[in-house]
Amino acid sequence: MTTSRNVNYVGMFKVAGLLSLILVIGSFIMFFTKGLNYGVDFRGGVEIQVKFNQKVELSELREIMKVGQVPLSQLQSIGDDSSNEFLLKLESDKGDLNAVSNQVNTVLTGKYGEGKFEILKNDIVGPKAGAELRTSAFKALMWAILAIMIYLALRFDYKFAPGAIAALIHDVTIIIGAFILTQKEFSLQIVAALLAIIGYSVNDTVVIYDRVREIETMHPHLSTVETINRALNETMSRTIITSLTVLGVSVVMLVWGGSVIHDFFFAMTIGVILGVYSTIFIAIPMTAFYEKMTSKKAA
Amino acid sequence: MAKGWWVRFSVLAIFVIASVMAVTPTFFNLKQESSFPVKSKINLGLDLQGGLYMVLGIDFNKVYRDEIVGYARKAQATLKDVGIDSTIGTLDASDVSDPKHTIILTKESDREAAKDKLREFYNYPLRLTQDEGVTLQYGLGRDFIREIEDTALSKSIEVIRNRIDEFGVTEPEIVSQGRDRIVVQLPGVKDISRAKDLIGRTAKLEFKFVNDEIPLATLNEWLDKVKKAGIEYKKGERWSDYVRAINTHLVSDLPKGFEIAFSKTVNKNTNVVTNLEPYLVEAGSSLTGEELQEATVRIDQQQNRPYVGLEFKPQGAKIFEEITGANTGKRLAIVLDGNVYSAPVVQGRIAGGSAQITLGAGDYNATMMEARDLALVLRAGALPVELVFEEQRVVGPSLGADAIDKAQMAALVGSFLVLSFMCFYYKLSGVIATVTIVLNVLFTLSCLILVGATLSLPGIAGIALTVGMAVDGNILIYERIREEMRAGMTPFEAVRTGFEKAFWAIADANITTALAGICLLNFGTGPVRGFAVTLLIGICTTVYTSYFVSKVLFEKYVGDGSKKTLSI
Repeated sequence: MTTSRNVNYVGMFKVAGLLSLILVIGSFIMFFTKGLNYGVDFRGGVEIQVKFNQKVELSELREIMKVGQVPLSQLQSIGDDSSNEFLLKLESDKGDLNAVSNQVNTVLTGKYGEGKFEILKNDIVGPKAGAELRTSAFKALMWAILAIMIYLALRFDYKFAPGAIAALIHDVTIIIGAFILTQKEFSLQIVAALLAIIGYSVNDTVVIYDRVREIETMHPHLSTVETINRALNETMSRTIITSLTVLGVSVVMLVWGGSVIHDFFFAMTIGVILGVYSTIFIAIPMTAFYEKMTSKKAA
Repeated sequence: MAKGWWVRFSVLAIFVIASVMAVTPTFFNLKQESSFPVKSKINLGLDLQGGLYMVLGIDFNKVYRDEIVGYARKAQATLKDVGIDSTIGTLDASDVSDPKHTIILTKESDREAAKDKLREFYNYPLRLTQDEGVTLQYGLGRDFIREIEDTALSKSIEVIRNRIDEFGVTEPEIVSQGRDRIVVQLPGVKDISRAKDLIGRTAKLEFKFVNDEIPLATLNEWLDKVKKAGIEYKKGERWSDYVRAINTHLVSDLPKGFEIAFSKTVNKNTNVVTNLEPYLVEAGSSLTGEELQEATVRIDQQQNRPYVGLEFKPQGAKIFEEITGANTGKRLAIVLDGNVYSAPVVQGRIAGGSAQITLGAGDYNATMMEARDLALVLRAGALPVELVFEEQRVVGPSLGADAIDKAQMAALVGSFLVLSFMCFYYKLSGVIATVTIVLNVLFTLSCLILVGATLSLPGIAGIALTVGMAVDGNILIYERIREEMRAGMTPFEAVRTGFEKAFWAIADANITTALAGICLLNFGTGPVRGFAVTLLIGICTTVYTSYFVSKVLFEKYVGDGSKKTLSI
């Protein structure tokens, strides 16, 4: 791959910025209207994953739970038809979660007999723990972003920080938007994925900032826009190769990694794409934009 | 060759040998008696091997209540000793986290003297909250409350550990989280409901004398009154809350210092209470499970029925002898977790410090099982507090196995794709990159084993992420070297400049990711922590392998500078 091309990335900032703004605002609107499908981690309640040795229909299972007076709030099948695997979510506000969870076991044993099914997973999260997990996850995200911002401001120049942070918030918001849109479950694992994406996206941005700074010292006569475009063009081959390799791994894990880590890599895959996009079209050009704004004010 | 190359190479060689040794037990099934110096295998998270993860919250409120009641009694006794007459007043638990208790003096003129005396004796545990007329009201001292919490937390962990040990779990993890939480992890536990039961049973043992002056009919009358007032046991509610509500409602009827407790019979299959028998027992107790030395299952030869035999510690034996002597003819209720187990009549002074708990009649095997569990719970120590299950996660072993297989396969396929791409795109240099990346994973795994960290599924994702960053580190360096060679540098110079210029890009990128990792470590719980730990370890190994190890290998490759071309 050559680096002789000279693409004006900064010039695309307005179009890209508008597109991103629409996506971010869209995500925000969905967040407040449709809302996230919080997993048991954050919502509190009971989640049971069960696998049967025999053919069981979704409607049949729903009927059994209804007859057994299990406070079922959601029932879905997992995997393909032949796996006979189901995820049951039970309401969180009705009495003792432990008892409710045992009730499912009793009802299933009564209907199908012992050994005919296997409880693969049984999560019980009290409402208090759920609320606390939500706050601590949110705090972790905020602190991560803040710490990165401070580091960037110290290591580089304050002018780099707003772009990087805007890109991070952009990435995180749109991924959350994707989770709202698909109504995939938002769990602790996804928070871990978001933090990984933050790390990855910043990694991408920092590499290019590094080059911007280097060009600035070597060619002080270049304008900011020229410097930034040059840095982006020079590092483009690295950006493409790295993103493709990481994306490759992420997609492989998404497709063949199994149900447990599926959602994690769903977030990662979107995040990798967003991370590269936001680095090239948001974070770096925004530095030029930010400098233009501040210099105008000064003038 | 650059200065100090052999030194750096030797360090690398030592790391490699040590790491290979560290991971050997994990990947090869070594025999128990093998003489291999490293024994520890990697800890797999519960999501990978199945098991039980629990977060238990500690309810301190009952502890505060018990302490203040106990100290009110002691204070009254102390006053009596110095000749000040008083009676024990009432408990005010309207603020559950700071309950208060009153002592009513017989003469108002004693007030100052009583206050002084109590300050002298109980300055630390008691805090005067009100004094008016003949009434002195005390709460628990602030520092004392903190001490109670600390002791209760560490004692609870100890007790849970004892119980788990008796249950026979390999490598359980029981740690505190914050001031009022305990996290229990039991990898590989299959009989989950029994384990949960064992931990969850607070098994607080108390001995309380029964007030038989008030006939059963009166008790039932009171309970009818409670029922009429709409206080009923609702399914899912905690039993102890219900009993507390009854006692609060009846506070004006109950004789001072006594409360209602129940002996209840529960149908094991349906979990429905089949029989309830009320008792009027002392509100505090003079003897608790703390004084217990030993609890064993024994068989009553005459009736062929199992029972639990108790032996007290010397101090407890003394108290037991004293109170049985002073209360001959009365019934002594054995109260476990607030429920009356049995209430035998004290026939006379019991010396020697033994007692027994007989269990309800029924199926021999069921009684035997109950006796064994009860003895186990008592022997392993009584929990000083009530525990609330805040979070429970159970992973069946087959889900874990399936998850490992799939994730492992996908990780292998992904790595293979990336590494073959590197070899294809960067040729011989790509092979060097491949070597460093394989070393990276090796180092990460061996570090995890050495620090005893747990590898969970998010942890594997963390490794995948660091591998991605390691690849990126190599790409950064290689692209830089290519760039410099295009600009006309010789391979020797290009390699040197490439490493030099790429260093800060790699360092900055990894430090920022590490910052995110540290935030995760501080705020995350359970699975998220596992991700953070592997991520942080992975970052260290990444910087080392993709920069320093690459450099060592490259210096060997380009040699002394006479080379004209570079396979990159």
